[in-house]
Amino acid sequence: MAYITDYQYYTNNNTTPQDANWGSYQYISLEDVVTNFLLMYNGNHSLVNNEERFKILFHAKRAIQELNYDAFKEIKALELQITDTLRYVLPQDYVNWVRVSMYYDGYLRPLVENVQINSASAYLQDHQGNILFDHLGNILKPEYSELTRQRLTGVQKTQYLNQGAPYDGYWGYCLDGFWYFDMAIGAAWGLNTETANANPTFTIDKKAGVINFSSAMNDKLAILEYISDGMENGDDSKVTVNKMFEEYIYAAIEFGILNSKLGVQEYIVNRVRKRKLALLRNAKLRLSNIHPGRLLQNMRGQDKWIK
Amino acid sequence: MIQQVYDAVLAILNKNNYGYLSPADFNLYAQQAQLDLFEDIFYQYNAQVTKENLRGSGTGYADIKKGIVEVIDMFSVTAALNHLANNTYSMPSTPTTGSDFYFINKVLCYDAAGVTFTGEAERVSQAKITLLNNSLYTAPTTTYPAYTTEGSVMTVYPSSIILAGQVQAQYIRYPATPQWTYVSLGAAQQPQFSVTASYQDFELPLDYFQDLVNKILQFAGMEIRDGEIVQFALGQEQIENQDEQ
Repeated sequence: MAYITDYQYYTNNNTTPQDANWGSYQYISLEDVVTNFLLMYNGNHSLVNNEERFKILFHAKRAIQELNYDAFKEIKALELQITDTLRYVLPQDYVNWVRVSMYYDGYLRPLVENVQINSASAYLQDHQGNILFDHLGNILKPEYSELTRQRLTGVQKTQYLNQGAPYDGYWGYCLDGFWYFDMAIGAAWGLNTETANANPTFTIDKKAGVINFSSAMNDKLAILEYISDGMENGDDSKVTVNKMFEEYIYAAIEFGILNSKLGVQEYIVNRVRKRKLALLRNAKLRLSNIHPGRLLQNMRGQDKWIK
Repeated sequence: MIQQVYDAVLAILNKNNYGYLSPADFNLYAQQAQLDLFEDIFYQYNAQVTKENLRGSGTGYADIKKGIVEVIDMFSVTAALNHLANNTYSMPSTPTTGSDFYFINKVLCYDAAGVTFTGEAERVSQAKITLLNNSLYTAPTTTYPAYTTEGSVMTVYPSSIILAGQVQAQYIRYPATPQWTYVSLGAAQQPQFSVTASYQDFELPLDYFQDLVNKILQFAGMEIRDGEIVQFALGQEQIENQDEQ
């Protein structure tokens, strides 16, 4: 990618979208990575020689994917309204989640993942418990399982201390404006902190590609923070990598090729492996942005008196 | 150069006045010799690369590889490929691009207007192209196109590359066939060198003069059944090769 003028940077040459180039200098494109590798690390006098370009492209993409999974701090966020289906369809480029929150009353409330399942599929059965089939031999299924139906209708109980908790509606006593429930929720034996959360809960059904919420989430805004693999839905021209990781990508491609090539001496494979790992550590440190100003801000409370 | 080669060959061959090479035979051997030497250049290039990797080659005037590359590049041609149907194009050939190819070095792809360069196509074997097209990560795109060859047809991928002017090739052509042309003079109808319409000089540079003479002498020596000539030419060639190591 060529260097651009200030005018191009700020206004994209006055064409829409005008913000297309903002922050672009942080990144190097996949195309540049492959071109640079072919020029600088591949050839008659290099360790990598006589390799097809598609292999180099493959290893470059795999390296970028791996970086997206854990080294980059590039978390995407998507807000969706939850309706009575209590379902949030995962974004197309979703790979893994970071945090699920509910935006309510002006507060962003991080939600707790329900350690129990809250939905299931089901088969139709007769009164003797036999599974029912259609004339093609396929199992007949209801629209919702009983578990799912109860969640959708808001009668499913939960171990969490939110709407639908087993203790919801229990008798307690009120003192100074606060309700206390002796036996049930920890006044006697301490609170189970794992389940002590008043917000709705969720489970992620990865195969179905949805997040299932508890019924209290109906009509609320859900915000999913997630990571992708950086492949930009197959559009190679949009695939980029932070410049801090540029050298790492070259090393990763080199290692990927030499590691799977016949006849490469083990000491060479080890050399490039070590180089790759060292560069990854370096880049992670650089990207972590640990600098005195930040540490100072955190340390300012160190002498505070605890009363 | 062809005239000097012709004279040198005849001079060596004409020892004791029993060696004679007709112009037609000379032209035949000249073509064969030039093709042989032309192909050798690529092997020399590879040998020099290997030598460089073993730190057995120098820079500056000692950069032998550079000289070889320059000779090869004398035969370099860049031309738009003739569009056939869909994403297929003709391989370079005399009727379509003006010259036959020895080696396709690169295939360049352009946008539909044939103006903006989009990417260099990579040659992929027939064994791999189906898998490559089905690959999620490495399927050919306009930035990373690929091509396969089948006979005289080149198929370019992605299959959206379908227009004339979208594909260019840079290739190494074969050297033109040398032709020593002449007019017949006198009662004996002695051939006298003369440039006519079919005249074609050797295309190899002057430093291949000695190699050409030696090669042609080997063939000519065989023709007149003179073992000494063949041995002489082979010996000369060997000395030449040793000098160039």
